[in-house]
Amino acid sequence: MPEPLLSRPVTRRAVLVGGSLAGFAAFLAACGTSGTSNTPSEPAASSGPTPTAAPPTPKPTPSAELNFANWPLYIDTDDNDPTKHKTLEDFKAEYGTTVKYSEVINDNDEFFGTIKAPLQAGQDTGWDLIVLTDWMAGRLVRLQWLEKFDLGNVPNYVNNLQDGFKAPDWDPTNEYHAPWQAGMTGLGYDSAVTGELTSVNAFWDAKWKGKMTYLTEMRDTVGFALIKLGYSRQTFTLDQFDQAIAELRKAVDAKLVRAFTGNEYAESLVSGDVVLAMAWSGDIIQKQADKETLVFRIPDEGGNLWYDNMLIPKGAAHKYTAELMIDFVYRPVIAAQIEAWVNYICPVKGAKEELAKTAPDLANSELIFPSAATYAKVTGFRSTTEAEETHMNDAFAALIGA
Amino acid sequence: MTIFRHRPGLVPLLLLVPGIAWLAVFYVYPAFQMFLSSFWSGSLERGFSFSLANWTTYGAALDRYKEQFLRSILYATAATILTFLVSYPLAWTIAFKAGRWKNVLVFLVIAPFFTSFLLRTVSWKILLGDDGIALGPLKQLGLLPDEFRVLATPIAVVFGITYNFLPFMTLPIYVSLEKIDVRLVEAARDLYAGPWRRSGAIFGGVLGGIVAAVLAWIFELPVVPLAAVGALAGAMIAGLLISEAFVRVTLPLSMPGVFAGSLLVVIPAIGDYVNATLLGTTSTTMIGNVIQSRYLVSNDYPTAAALSFIMMAGILLAVAAYARALGTENLTAGRGL
Repeated sequence: MPEPLLSRPVTRRAVLVGGSLAGFAAFLAACGTSGTSNTPSEPAASSGPTPTAAPPTPKPTPSAELNFANWPLYIDTDDNDPTKHKTLEDFKAEYGTTVKYSEVINDNDEFFGTIKAPLQAGQDTGWDLIVLTDWMAGRLVRLQWLEKFDLGNVPNYVNNLQDGFKAPDWDPTNEYHAPWQAGMTGLGYDSAVTGELTSVNAFWDAKWKGKMTYLTEMRDTVGFALIKLGYSRQTFTLDQFDQAIAELRKAVDAKLVRAFTGNEYAESLVSGDVVLAMAWSGDIIQKQADKETLVFRIPDEGGNLWYDNMLIPKGAAHKYTAELMIDFVYRPVIAAQIEAWVNYICPVKGAKEELAKTAPDLANSELIFPSAATYAKVTGFRSTTEAEETHMNDAFAALIGA
Repeated sequence: MTIFRHRPGLVPLLLLVPGIAWLAVFYVYPAFQMFLSSFWSGSLERGFSFSLANWTTYGAALDRYKEQFLRSILYATAATILTFLVSYPLAWTIAFKAGRWKNVLVFLVIAPFFTSFLLRTVSWKILLGDDGIALGPLKQLGLLPDEFRVLATPIAVVFGITYNFLPFMTLPIYVSLEKIDVRLVEAARDLYAGPWRRSGAIFGGVLGGIVAAVLAWIFELPVVPLAAVGALAGAMIAGLLISEAFVRVTLPLSMPGVFAGSLLVVIPAIGDYVNATLLGTTSTTMIGNVIQSRYLVSNDYPTAAALSFIMMAGILLAVAAYARALGTENLTAGRGL
């Protein structure tokens, strides 16, 4: 039975703990312990032709194991045994395979650091299925470090993917990414202090000086500045991006912004140190249990949408089994089973109807199954070239003082 | 074992092998690789290429991030001074006055280290919260203005570092104090070492004033009033609490501990970025934050490597200068003031 909505752990993007530890490692690395992973190499583009959607070949058999890397607390978990996940047990039973499920991804950049060396060298990363955020998935597509799905092996995915997630500009044919969960970024505020906030302009309001946080996630923070300036996050130019940075700098220079944070802002909202934050939907749902006056709201002008995707890294040893897993979780029944525990936005059509049978309150939540009107208000960040990404990261780093 | 009997010179060499092998594999080789990568140019996608002409990365990195370098040095220095001010009286009390509680107290100094560095830092967010246990009551009494805060300021970052590295200062000082033969102090008293009134009050006043002024400047607080408070406190402590025997015997004999402790604090503190990340804001970032961001977020390995080497070289030079100024061989001479 699903637990009540509010008491469940909903901590994806554990930037605080995981990210900082990873950062430790990175710092050590920067001081000279892991230079070995940086061998210069040819651009990855030279790594041979990619198999294009082949006609259905004689059916392969599932391999004995599947190595699956995901974020912590991001799949249905047994209340009594945190190592047990019913979805994975069901998969094992059906296909007679074992799943090595590792909750090792805490941060996109950090995980990228761990798979970069083998991919660059054209070797197997040891993972068959990984889950990364849209922009990082776009980078991996750009680097040609992903395997294309054989769409014949994933009919449920083809049929049940929500339209809102189809054909991003970095994967127009949906052959590289299968969304796992999605989330929205919007206004997170303590309504007892601020009253109702509806506009993105609140993030520049001097009333919240020193009591407001922005996100270290560049695309989320700059996204709001683009919205404020009336630019599209799907088609902005670099010049518009620079204007957005300048807009953010105004708030930083006026000391309106207390800090740029990962999901630590949620704790600060509860303690009262912060009254308004650029916030992720799932965090606020969770923290409402501690402070009822917390509100999550998509600004009237629009909000950001991000999604994490199942991807098959280049050279994965068990590609077919990975495709079976993708197809498996795109069955509405299985998707509903995961959703009952995870509470982010579900990208699978039909899951809502399935979940309504067991947990109608969850099925009707606007933050798990957003209405078409909500979907219309949120959008993601366009994909970028490497040069653009470098420019953007540099400008943003300068803004946050690093 | 006969081979060792005939060639006794082999033993020390063999004993060195594990350490040298460890350092060669896990330090020298990666550091060399890192050094090479600081001469790269290019990008992840286009590939990196090596050229000695890329030494300009060093100048560019130093110039671009001089603010963060300076801040790292200032914060680390401030934290070292603060750890010393807290540690010395603590270590002295444990060494000379704790009696049978000595071991318990030493254990308590280390006890916080049984939890993770990160959790200890996060707990400071709760402690220093705008209306938390430390500031809340002061604000209610009207002693502090409502908008006053410690979090997201240099004070929080430096205090965080101070707290996290405190045992690295306390333990070496304790060890060197513990070794002191109390009969030496008694002998000093027998030889008419009394209170340290006149010169002590002047010396303590000047030193307290300078230290308080420097800290106030780093913390962006009013310098003059705090320097006055520091001078007064320094004069009172040195004039009333400190004896001549302490100045002429105990303090010089404990200097090796102070030397070791300050190195153990200042070196990791310069490179620390966790405190700045969790407790600071955009204007308190340190060089560790930059290296982390260059390396992990921007995939700018050459700059990250160059910054690391600039930092290493800087620390090495500073430590060498410090060792010369306060070298252990001079300390045992026991020169008083």
